[in-house]
Amino acid sequence: MSLDVHIQRLGTPGRAFIANMHLHVAPGQILTLMGPSGSGKSSVLAGIAGTLAQLNDAEAQPGRAPLSMQGSVHLNGQDISTWPTERRRIGLLFQEPLLFAHMSVAENLRFATPAGAEAERQANVTQALAAAGLEGFGPRDPATLSGGQKARVALMRALLAKPHALLLDEPFSKLDAALRKQFRDFVFSHLHQQGIPAILVTHDVLDVADGGLVHSLGTEFQPLK
Amino acid sequence: MAGLARMRLGFSPLVQAAALAVLMLSAWLPTAWTALLALGQASQPAGWLALFAAPQFPGALSLSIWTGLASTALAWRVSAWLMAQGFVHRRLSRWLQGMPVMLATPHAALAIGLVFLLAPSGWLLRLISPGLTGFELPPPWRTTQDPWGLGLILALAAKEIPFLLWVAASELQREDLRRRWQAEYAVTLTFGHSPRVAFKQVIWPQLAPRLVWPAWAVLAYSLTVVDMALVIGPATPPTLAVLAWQWVQDADALTQQQGAAAAGLLALASCLFGGLVWTFSRWRAASQRPVSYRVPLLGVHRLPLSSLAGASGIWLLRSVYALALLALAVGSFAGFWPFPAVLPTQWTTGAWQSVWQSRETLTITLALGMATSGLALLWSVAWFELLPRAWEPRLRPLLYLNLLMPGVLWVLGMHALSLSASLDGHWLGLLWAHLLMALPYVMLALSPSYPVFDARYAQLSASLGRSRWAFLWAVKWPLLKRALASAFAIGFAVSVAQYLPTLYIGAGRFSTVTTEAVALAAGAQRSLTSAYAWLQWCLPLGVFGLAAWLGRPRTFSTPLKAEKIS
Repeated sequence: MSLDVHIQRLGTPGRAFIANMHLHVAPGQILTLMGPSGSGKSSVLAGIAGTLAQLNDAEAQPGRAPLSMQGSVHLNGQDISTWPTERRRIGLLFQEPLLFAHMSVAENLRFATPAGAEAERQANVTQALAAAGLEGFGPRDPATLSGGQKARVALMRALLAKPHALLLDEPFSKLDAALRKQFRDFVFSHLHQQGIPAILVTHDVLDVADGGLVHSLGTEFQPLK
Repeated sequence: MAGLARMRLGFSPLVQAAALAVLMLSAWLPTAWTALLALGQASQPAGWLALFAAPQFPGALSLSIWTGLASTALAWRVSAWLMAQGFVHRRLSRWLQGMPVMLATPHAALAIGLVFLLAPSGWLLRLISPGLTGFELPPPWRTTQDPWGLGLILALAAKEIPFLLWVAASELQREDLRRRWQAEYAVTLTFGHSPRVAFKQVIWPQLAPRLVWPAWAVLAYSLTVVDMALVIGPATPPTLAVLAWQWVQDADALTQQQGAAAAGLLALASCLFGGLVWTFSRWRAASQRPVSYRVPLLGVHRLPLSSLAGASGIWLLRSVYALALLALAVGSFAGFWPFPAVLPTQWTTGAWQSVWQSRETLTITLALGMATSGLALLWSVAWFELLPRAWEPRLRPLLYLNLLMPGVLWVLGMHALSLSASLDGHWLGLLWAHLLMALPYVMLALSPSYPVFDARYAQLSASLGRSRWAFLWAVKWPLLKRALASAFAIGFAVSVAQYLPTLYIGAGRFSTVTTEAVALAAGAQRSLTSAYAWLQWCLPLGVFGLAAWLGRPRTFSTPLKAEKIS
């Protein structure tokens, strides 16, 4: 799967943050989106995931103009711009793992595997736990996990939904330096293995994947040597 | 292509529009219409002329203003003091544990319980008689229904202190405020200021303006309360709200208009006094002067004795409630109970047999409470889910109108509305009336949690391929189950406590435990009054208990949080 995004305009009625931006992400490739705070990085991700309206809703304040985006999103050549988020199969990973506190670790993972036979779902969950190095942690309260463990469960949950692309909104920023590198390598290796195109929003140049592309908002693409 | 930004994670626009229309037509517009009709009823010149000519009017108005202002001021100062104590000594969370019991207590039930405690033949005097007092007979004192309204002031303050504390604590526990305020407080302490100064200079100036609206609601209620004033308030003359209630029930049209005018005057008084407080707080904020909301900080130190003072205050409040509840329970089984015996010399189940014989009253109370709270919860959740965030905060305040309007005036408007919808005296009309009364409380109970639920969970859930319904059922509602269950219990308690709407909109065809308890309180059937008041109290308590059980956090069987593995 490849991800192609064309943004004609992203902004409020009175102000455009981004105009005529093209992003192409090949299977397994990780494009890093950088730029100062408020430059519209997270809004680009929301536009691609189809959650911009909800972002507007969540941040609605009297007098605050809503963001809108004109453009298109293609997955493997198919235009998914008008599809609702739940049909797009574009995964999201945020700064916080956002594990559901009322579900066990295994139930968090099962939430991402709604279809299929029970045995198959269970096998997928067990496999995901093993891949995250968390065998036996299934029945646990997510609150008992460490930060790194939570982050790995969040990634596994996103991957279990078999996404066609993954959007990473600063998922490493709240981890300490050692854990950050460990988790970053873990994420990138899974994305490469599964051939999932991904867009990563970050402020840290160290987060850029080897051989990946960097797009600083307002500048041209710069292949990283 | 332009659809990119408009695509919502949610329901189809058609479903959303239809649901919004139902929400608006079922409660929002009727609330607005009720208020307009009520004001219309109160604006008839003949009624005002009759009101000003009524001989009881000046005394009743003075009493209303005195009891309303004094009880609000007392509740404000005591709750501010307790808040300061609780904050400085980090006891707030512990103190709040018993708060739902106090919040669930209907005003009338507390008033009846207090009468049984404070009356000259009440428990308090029995406990110390004749040993300390020498009284062999009840003294001719007027400790309840006193002409100065002191009993009413105490009862209102005892009922409103928990409410103000709860609202303040909700603000202090808001995730976005709690951390910031704690940090600011800690920083102030590092400058060498005492906890007292730190609270006064940093926390209270930010907290107090947030309590202006709740305080206004307390003032409006205290100025216009009827059921509590009937039970424990002065009688010759009564407060203006009681007079207004008596007048609007009169068969004579002019007297009814006089009652409506009296209720209108109370609404004006409520707006005037509340508006003065609000304007003062806005002026302070706009002029950026150092805020000097007076907070009684006497004894707010980190010394052990100071800590004891706050805890004692809370224990005193709890004791008042516990004793009143116990007095009702004992009273409901009391047969012959001569003064100064602490306990009845003869016990009887006669009152409970009477309650059982008229069990239809209990059934109506339960059915009405359950239906009201269920509908109010459903309505509120739909409101928060379907209304765009940009509109919602602008439309919501109208729903709180009945918190600020005198009960008598409100039921007049509601009665006119139910007449125009041919629902007067019908079960559906009564349910609608209760729903409009319960809605603002349910909305208030949900507003600290439901509208601020982290929107990223919805985005995350949709990105995992799950529908909006799946998200609501599997994620959002289970995560908010505690708030939802509490809101349901609050809606139930509000419905059970309704006196005026039940009598007026129900056209006297429906008796609930509240209408029975208030009606009996004027008579001499002590045990039956106690039984109904006890039920009026315990039904909401039971639902609060059920809500606490349903809303309890899930316990996981495997390792404890302490065994974190990194």
